Amino acid sequence: MFKELDPILHSQLRLAIISLLISVKEAEFTFLREKTKATAGNLSVQINKLKEAGYLDVVKKFHNNYPQTICKISPKGIEAFDKYVTALKTYMHPGQQS
Amino acid sequence: MTEQENFSPEESLQLIQTMIAKTRKDLGNNSTHFLLWGWVTFVACTGQFILKHLMNYEKHYLVWLLVFPASLASIYLGITENKKKVVSSYVGDSMKHLWLGMGISYFVLSIILSQLGWNTNIFPFFILLYGLGTFVSGMFLQFKPMVLGGSVAWILAIMAGNFNYDYQMLFGAVAILISYIIPAYILRSKNKIATK
Repeated sequence: MFKELDPILHSQLRLAIISLLISVKEAEFTFLREKTKATAGNLSVQINKLKEAGYLDVVKKFHNNYPQTICKISPKGIEAFDKYVTALKTYMHPGQQS
Repeated sequence: MTEQENFSPEESLQLIQTMIAKTRKDLGNNSTHFLLWGWVTFVACTGQFILKHLMNYEKHYLVWLLVFPASLASIYLGITENKKKVVSSYVGDSMKHLWLGMGISYFVLSIILSQLGWNTNIFPFFILLYGLGTFVSGMFLQFKPMVLGGSVAWILAIMAGNFNYDYQMLFGAVAILISYIIPAYILRSKNKIATK
């Protein structure tokens, strides 16, 4: 039985953002842009979608007079990522169910 | 990367693995601090041996004053790195706390050594701490040369216990070379290749 994949996470850029944030404490927008090689506009839109879903905490502040956007995965985001990976496994190994 | 929602579970998994690998490259890359402290303590150990054992200079311990400019350089480096930092990791934070604790332990041990007298055979305890710091750091970074270096330092600590203070300093220098300096150069070259 295939589990349904979370539509919020089953999008290339949003999944990339969550995958990057899962292994760090927090990261700046510039870090995410460098690693995903996405355009600033597109990245910003996808971060907002993840934020609206409650998967990310986003803090905007000023550092050395420059605006800074810091993103951090939320506990809800960690849970969603965990569920997404579990669902993925059912596609990879259809015989195994968790 | 563009927005794409029609991709297979295999591609999803591949993407997750690629992104996690990309963050790993950026974590805990403090080879500069390892090199700075490695060379400072290496020079201090060998310098003290030369001054004390070969030149019979009475104030041989003054070579350890090198630690003060090194501390200032380390603080400056830390502040500069913090300004440039675009990602904060649990590994990086754990390393910072570990080495802060190690630094305080070295300082406390130095005070104990000065209380007991400079000829007290206490140096194996310093080597023991070098081993602990690099072993745990190597485990955090999943970097085998550092884990191995830390383990060798522990063996050297046991061996140093059979010698007097002067030769213990040489054991200390070898321990630093194997557990700090060599792994730090390997780490640095690995990071250079990874960021190319």
